Amino acid sequence: MGASLSTLTENGAANGGPGLGDIPESCVACVFLYLTPPEICNLARLNRAFRGAASSDAVWEAKLPHNYQQLLELFPPERYQNLSKKDIFALLSRPVPFDDDDGYKEIWLDRVTGRACMSISAKAMTITGIEDRRYWNWIPTDESRFQVVAYLQQMWWFEVVGIVKFPFPPDIYTLSFRLHLGRSSKRLLRRVCYDHTQGWDIKPVRFELSTSDGQQVSRECCLDDTEQDEATGSQKRGCWVDYKVGEFIISGSDPVTEVSFSMKQIDCTHSKGGLCVDLVSIVPSDLKVCRRRGVLK
Amino acid sequence: MASKGNLTLKSCNGKEFIVEEKVAVMSTTIKNMVDVDDSFAQGVIPIIGVDGKILAKLIEYCKEHAEADEDEEVKSEEYLKKFDEKFVDELNLNDLYDLLKASNYLEITKLLNLLCQKVASMIKGKKPEEIRRIFNIKNDFTPEEEEEINRQNPWAF
Repeated sequence: MGASLSTLTENGAANGGPGLGDIPESCVACVFLYLTPPEICNLARLNRAFRGAASSDAVWEAKLPHNYQQLLELFPPERYQNLSKKDIFALLSRPVPFDDDDGYKEIWLDRVTGRACMSISAKAMTITGIEDRRYWNWIPTDESRFQVVAYLQQMWWFEVVGIVKFPFPPDIYTLSFRLHLGRSSKRLLRRVCYDHTQGWDIKPVRFELSTSDGQQVSRECCLDDTEQDEATGSQKRGCWVDYKVGEFIISGSDPVTEVSFSMKQIDCTHSKGGLCVDLVSIVPSDLKVCRRRGVLK
Repeated sequence: MASKGNLTLKSCNGKEFIVEEKVAVMSTTIKNMVDVDDSFAQGVIPIIGVDGKILAKLIEYCKEHAEADEDEEVKSEEYLKKFDEKFVDELNLNDLYDLLKASNYLEITKLLNLLCQKVASMIKGKKPEEIRRIFNIKNDFTPEEEEEINRQNPWAF
């Protein structure tokens, strides 16, 4: 495993003077603790000794979540048996379908931080009236990672709910719905938006999430607030927007956590329409900040 | 265990330093020596492979941190952070390597982590050629091997 101190020393220095190759391997491993997986892979290109150190199990085990064994159970054993920790990281950093939902629920480890991210397609949610084409349609689109989104034509009972049961690694997660006012399609390679949006400016949509260990968050949000959009200069119509429902904390005390989420607007006095529902994402709350700074966990 | 007095540390080139025990035992290696054998606490502790200059640096670091551990009021976290930053910023590469080796051997975990973090920050965002130049590392790959490595981690780039 890794390179020995002697090979680091022999091959390390280029011209007699001391080099980083002179420091003990345990120090190299300690340096790697402060580097991200892409940076470590980059170091593997320095020389043979570094390549050895950069593929050592000890280094990569520290980059994996503590419960990575549970994540591996999503695969048949022959896929991960005999793999090095580095290969396990590479395996888990590609989206893995789970829950036997025809690939409409995916989990993967972020390549920079090693933290767990999840996407749940509208296809894996319960949508009231989805079977009636007068209300809802499935639209194929390459704007979704699942290649399909649910489009609401028109209906007054708008209700989308979902549930996910998973051995989340301990973290603070943010759950969001990815929505689009109006629908878009490609015409002669150009993106065209059809704006049949209606009813979302009258009353807010209620977003909720709850976990099996008793955490609850709810939030109301007006999806279509043209006045406010003009004031802030942000355009929601014709764009994909992540609507944050809230955060939940996984402490690691329960092996599996169930997270339920929903989005409702069931005021019968007005109908709503012209909305695409892509997916729900569950990602560590400070993931973007950590990715940008290249810091881990 | 010996009384909470002073210990004498001797560098490999014969320089002697008298330090308070609480400072010396920041090093797990020294702590183990003193705990196991009282005679070390009375006599001189030889620090093998560490010269006077590096030993002085180690003591400077341990002194600040031992005092801070004892009295948080006098030396706040903020103060220590500034001290640490200044400490690593003032090191040249040779001293950095020597201190890394010495703190690894003497098991001064806090300092070892600080130095490794410093090395990591020097590596971040640099191309392999730059890192080789800065850290004086010889590329011993054959062109074929290099090509293979670039193929191996396609997802990381």
